[in-house]
This record gives sequence, C-alpha cells and structure tokens, in this order.
Amino acid sequence: MSGTGPSSNELEPEAERVSRIDFTFHRRTLDNGLRVVVAPDRTRPVVAVNLWYGVGSRNERKGRTGFAHLFEHMMFQGSAHVPKNLHFELVERAGGSLNASTWFDRTNYFETLPSHQLDLALWLESDRMGWMVQAMTQEKLDNQRDVVKNEKRERYDNQPYGDWQERIQRMVWPEDHPYRHTVIGSMEDLDAADLTDVADFFQSFYVPNNAVITVAGDVEPDDAFARVERWFGEIPRGAPVPTIPGRTAVAIPMDAPATEVVEADVPLPRVMMGFRIPPYDDARFAALEVAASVLGAGRASRLYKNLVRAGVARDAFCYPFPLVTGASILLVGATGFPGSDPMGLADAVREQLRGLERVTQAEVDRGLALEEARMVRALEGLGERADRISMSTMLFDRPERVTEELDELRAVSLEDVQKTAAEFLSTENHATLAYRPREVEA
Amino acid sequence: MSGIDRTVTPPAGPLRDFSFPAVTRLRLDTGLPVDVVRVPHLPVATALLVLPAGEDTLPEEHAGLAVLAGDALEGGTHHRSGVEMAEALETIGADLDASTGWNATTVSLSCLADHLDRGLTLLGEMVLDAAFPEEEVTRVRGQQLARIQQRAMDPGALASDRAAAEIYAPGEPYGRPILGSLESISGVTPAALRGFAESYYRPAGGGLVVAGDVDPAEVEAMALRVFGAWTGAPPSRSIPNGAHRSAARRVTVVDRPGSVQSELRLGHPGAPRTVAGYEALVVTTAILGGTFSSRLNLNLREKHGFTYGVRCRIGYRRGPGPLSVATAVDTAVTARAVAETIREMDRYVREGPTEDEVASARDYLAGIFPLRLETTGQVAARVAELRVYGLPEDTWAGYRDRIRGVTRQAAAEAARTHIRPEELAITVVGDADSVVPELEGLDLGPVEVQNP
Repeated sequence: MSGTGPSSNELEPEAERVSRIDFTFHRRTLDNGLRVVVAPDRTRPVVAVNLWYGVGSRNERKGRTGFAHLFEHMMFQGSAHVPKNLHFELVERAGGSLNASTWFDRTNYFETLPSHQLDLALWLESDRMGWMVQAMTQEKLDNQRDVVKNEKRERYDNQPYGDWQERIQRMVWPEDHPYRHTVIGSMEDLDAADLTDVADFFQSFYVPNNAVITVAGDVEPDDAFARVERWFGEIPRGAPVPTIPGRTAVAIPMDAPATEVVEADVPLPRVMMGFRIPPYDDARFAALEVAASVLGAGRASRLYKNLVRAGVARDAFCYPFPLVTGASILLVGATGFPGSDPMGLADAVREQLRGLERVTQAEVDRGLALEEARMVRALEGLGERADRISMSTMLFDRPERVTEELDELRAVSLEDVQKTAAEFLSTENHATLAYRPREVEA
Repeated sequence: MSGIDRTVTPPAGPLRDFSFPAVTRLRLDTGLPVDVVRVPHLPVATALLVLPAGEDTLPEEHAGLAVLAGDALEGGTHHRSGVEMAEALETIGADLDASTGWNATTVSLSCLADHLDRGLTLLGEMVLDAAFPEEEVTRVRGQQLARIQQRAMDPGALASDRAAAEIYAPGEPYGRPILGSLESISGVTPAALRGFAESYYRPAGGGLVVAGDVDPAEVEAMALRVFGAWTGAPPSRSIPNGAHRSAARRVTVVDRPGSVQSELRLGHPGAPRTVAGYEALVVTTAILGGTFSSRLNLNLREKHGFTYGVRCRIGYRRGPGPLSVATAVDTAVTARAVAETIREMDRYVREGPTEDEVASARDYLAGIFPLRLETTGQVAARVAELRVYGLPEDTWAGYRDRIRGVTRQAAAEAARTHIRPEELAITVVGDADSVVPELEGLDLGPVEVQNP
C-alpha cells in the first residue's frame, strides 16, 4: 500500500498480501475546483479516464424525475466543438471503450483507451463539461427521450420483476426523501422536460467544482496533471451546487415495517426486502458489509447453505447499496420454486437474519477472505480502478481509500457484526415485497 | 492562454507497443496441456480447466446434461460434502465456478496468487473426485428446470431460444436451448451424470491454463501433483454442421399479448471460429452492428430512436454458430425497425463498407484488443480459446497485425459470403395483434404466429 501513508497493520501477515498492491495516488485541485487524481500504472499501454459528477436522481426536483439520466444521454449528443455521434466514433476508432451511468448520488462518464490517446478523452470530456449546452437542439432531445423510453421498456417494463426498485423505494423511503423515486424516473416527467431544463441542469450541476476526474494507467503524473490543466483549466467555476430537494434526514432504522404482495407475470415467486441502514460513509457501514457477506457471499454463506442448498430457494442474495444521502439501503432476497409461497420464503429469509445473532468468527473470517480477494480482483481492470478512485475522492476525499477499505473491513469485530445486525437487520426495519406468479388460465 | 485548439481532434501521441503476454507451454505425460502466463501486476491468479464436455456433443434427448453435470460439481466429492468444499474454498477467498457452453465445460478458479496451490488442489478434487450425490443432483436439477421455465417468461431469452430453433435444422444441437428442455432434464439421474463425467472429464482435448502472479515451474509442479494421474480421452466428438432450417426468409411472431416492446432476432447460420478469413469477418460485423457507431445502431437508435441499442454478431463456436441481429424496439415501430434492419443489411451486402469504415473498424479492433486483456481472467480465457478450437499457438501474437491487414475488398467479400439477408429467419417476440398486420405488409416472406 505504498503511497497511502504508513499503515499500522503492516506486520500482520494478512495485510502483507494486500500490501503487494503497489498503487500510488497523486492529487491536485484546479483553481476552478475540479479535483484531479492521477494513479500511474505503466504495466500496459492503457489509460482510463473517469469523471464523477456529484449529481444523480437525488437532485431531481418534483415533476422532473428521470431527468439526470436523460441528461447523461444528452452528454453524448455533441458539444460546441464535437458534432453529434463523434464522441463514440472517435473513441471507438481510437480503440477505446466508453460509457456513462446515472445513479442516485452521482453520474459517471468514462473512457478506457490506448494511452497515446489520452488527449482525445480529455478533449471530449472537457468540451462537454465546458461547452455542452451550445450544441443542444430540440431534435436531439426528442431522439434521446425516445431512446430512454425504450431503455425503460427493455430493462424495466418488459422484464419480469422489472418494477421491484420502484416498489421497494416507495416503501423504504418517506414521501419527501430524494431516494423515493427511481433513477429511470417517470416518462411523463421526461415528456415535460424541455431545452431550458437541459440548460439549467447543466449550469447547476455540470460544473468543475462538482466533479472529480481520475486518470489511471500508463501516464507520468506531472505530464497527466499538465494535460488535465490544459483541457479543463479554463472552464469557469460554477455557483455552489443547489441543495438536494426534499428532506434527506430520515430515521434509521425505519419506524414501521411495510409489506406488499404483487401478483404479476413472473416465472417464480420471489421475495425482496429493503432495510434502511446508515449511509456508506458512516462508521457502522463496514460491519453491515461483513454481515452481508456472512449472509449472502459465496456458497458457504448462510443464505446459500440454509436456503438454496436446503432446496427452499432457487437463489438468494444480500448486498448493501453504497448510498450517502441521509441513509442507505440493504437488500436481501430469494427466489422460490413453482408453487412455493412467497410469504413463506420471506419467513425463511427472516429466520436467517435472526440467526446473525449467533454468527461465528469463522464465518466472519470467511466473509473477509472473499471480500479481500474480490476487492483485489476488482482493481485489476483500469476502468473499474479509476471509477473506485473517483468514488473514494468524491465521497471520502481520499483516493487511497480504494485500498484502505479492506483495513476498515478487517477492523470489524464479531461483536460489531452481531450488534449492527441486531440493530439494523431486524424484523421491524424492513419493507417486504413479494411476487406471486399470476395464475395462468388453462 | 491554454494554447490548445478545441476545434480539431487532438493528435495522438506516440503509440506504445503491446504484445500478448508470453505463454509457457507445457504438457504433462498424460497428455494434459498446461499453459502458464505470467501476469505480475497484482497478487492474483486465475486457473481455467477446460474439459471437452460441451453441449454440442449430446444428442437431443440428453440436451442440457453437460450443463447440469457442470453445475452439479458443487455437490461435493467422495471426501467432502458440497458445503465443506465451499467452506474450504471460501476460507482462502477463492471463487470456483463451472460454466458449460456449446464447445466445452470450463471450471474456473480465481484467487489470490498465494493460494493458488491450495485452490488448484480443491479444483482437482472437485472435478476428478466428483460424487454427484443424489440429494444435490435433485436440487441442482430442480434449479435447472426452474431456469428453463424462467427463460420462457423472459422476452429476450425467449426470443433468442426461438430464433435458434428457427435458424437451425431439426436435430442440430445449436437449434435447441442450451439448458435443454423440461423433458430432457426431468429424468436425469446421478448415475447419468457420473457416466457423463467419466466419459468427458478427460485431459485429452482439454487443458489447464493459469494466468497471474505465478512462476511457471511452480505451476507445473502443482499441475503434476494434482492432475498427474489423470488420463484418458473423451469419445470422439463430431463438430455440428449447423445446417440451415430453411434458406427462405420468413417471419415468426411469438405472441406475448400486452408486451410494450418487441424483441427482434434476425439470423441465419454464421461461421465457425476456425473460418478462413476470421479477421475480415470480425471487421465486417463490427461495421454493420458491432459498435456504437455501427450502421445499424446509428440508424435504429440515433436516427430513429426505435431502440436502446442494436447489435449484430456471430456466436463463434466449433461449428457454424448463428449470425444474429438482436434488439428490442417499441411495439408501435416493430415493422419499421425490421424493415430498416433489412434495408441496412441489404445495402451493406450489396455495396460493402467504405474505406473509412474499414479503417475505423480496424483501428477499433486492434486498439481494443489490449484493453480486453487487463485481468488474469481475460488473459486466461484467450489462451483457453486456442485449446477449445485447436487454433495455432501464435494466434494472439499475430492477431492485431492480421486485423490491421484487412482490406475493404476482404471486408466486402466477407459480407457477401457470410451475411445473407434473403435467408434470414426473423423472430419477433411481442404483441401479435399489434405487430402482425404491418409485418405482413412488409412482404418479407410468410408470417407465422406461435404461442410462447
């Protein structure tokens, strides 16, 4: 873990393995507020550029749900100096890959390309950060609105269980919480959006002081900083970002459990439970991650062993979302077999949750070993590595956290897991969504 | 004052060389090839054990058996229950999975490099000493049956499965769902799985590939210890012909009333992985539908907004896997999307690509190649491909140069040879009442409506 400062764990044999991850991080902040991280790795002629903007569906106002994601699509429709479609074409032609995604708390944009093409990525990203709005037209907005509507149909409306997020979010979050609505949002809201919304959103959120850029891979740090400065330095700082609408403070755990049973065209019964938990940047989050790992990671996990192997469920899962606005959510669920009762499945899952009171050290160690190996593997690809660095910088102001995260997990004790599980994974603190397959008429 | 010109694409810097990492090729006396690639960037390793046990060797009545055997490996060995095996693996943070495709079953181990020895030992035990206990086989079989039912209700999966049946002649393995059917799986016994493993889990025709922060000599010693006594060859395996069901274009609508979208698949038998001129074919499908900037995507998505995305690809296999255009479109524009797709395919085959499109696709494919070799898993998978298809050992070393050598003429020729719009089986999963009249109006051939 060189470059991340001295570590008190250096002598522990477990830590020694991870210490073979030889990353260094360099960071600066430009005058306009853009946070820049350079993470050199010259083992291959590849570079990853990753931008996080601190805007997501949580920032959408009433009547404009889904807009952050539509805006992400518009960011590929050209900017003052880049014609429509050229963004994809140029990066693909350079032998690179690219994409973007919108989530609750952030929107990210990323390219991975041969390292001699770094300037291309910086040109494209800086042009849309600085000069996107000039290139917007009604035609582009209408076209991308259609594309997004098809994305919603393909990924949600035309999919079995496709509405689970909407239903779970409505139960877990109160009316005025920014996580109450989905990222894909409402198509009526998208219909109501116009070019003024695009311009306003751009001016409010797509400002250098609301962004992090990470350059990871085959670069020399000073040279990379100079290039970022050259392309992004002249973009003016924006006004402070508007406060998040609604009320972000919520009670954790929830005040009362909620249940919804849905009869739908689904192949198998399925139950999903959403727990309201402390946010990702809360000290207690690590213990919940370990608890989730004990419950749901791997084939020796409690859910797999006691539900799947026991023939009660076809599959089972458990994971916490890394959300930061007031609180976060942990999801536990299982899919049954034809004919099984989804509420019975829910009871079986709850029994596994209650069992966490008696979690053993061996289980915790197993969960940690899996997390360690998976974390190191997640850092193999530069694109994923750069994304994690952007996240750590935006949320924790510490790029080093991508490798330090494991230390936080290792510091979790057996008592921590038992205590947080009792507090947050309780029967009172969750919303249950059960899908029952619709009876087919013979 | 930044001294940059935003109005022009910035020039690229000097290109840095990339060569495929060196592969140390060994062979145990028993015939097991062992390929080791040192990828020392991070302290991780991936091991792939390729078994000549793909679905393409099975007759129709046993369809899905190879998948079931692979999945049932987690049921444990003669020395360890499935739970004990999972605990042993996960205590060292290792992930071990079997995945079965048309060509092979691949058991993959992924772990920290320090634990490779232990992980390989467990992998060896899992495969060579598999017990297929009754209770676990019953459970995994039940899961496979549930997955088969699940696919029938997932419009995308349903479309792909139905399209395969429309593309290939009856009896062709590629024409059936890879998971098999309720009939072929319901009666599978532990004895059948043991028999399958006994026959097909053999070193000849397979291989071990290890990539990561490892020493080839040490890996050889491990392989010898774990697999040294493992011998034998599978029964001779023929390669599927991939015969076409019918060369006459036709439309099949699988009725899913109330669907808000139509899943479209337009396909015919494509080409095997070992086809002469593979690189030209890769270039040509990339231009038609392999990238965001492809002809099909720019038309259907960026021009018309019909879809979230469209792809044209060939599923490369030992035999001629399918060439298929796949997309999901708004119900109301289904016929228009089909018409635009066929128009683009017709025009592409007739006129061929432009010089610029070929140059662009060459640059893309040559450039993206090293980007997809970032992880030990990706590197190992590429090396394993050579074993699965019996490709020359220098395949990857020369790949980028061969891609760069593809001419416009070669790409146009590949399109004319391998893309045949007049032979397409067009499969539509959607609301038949809404889409059939307009599809009939396109006059593409007979339109048949089926139930899911």
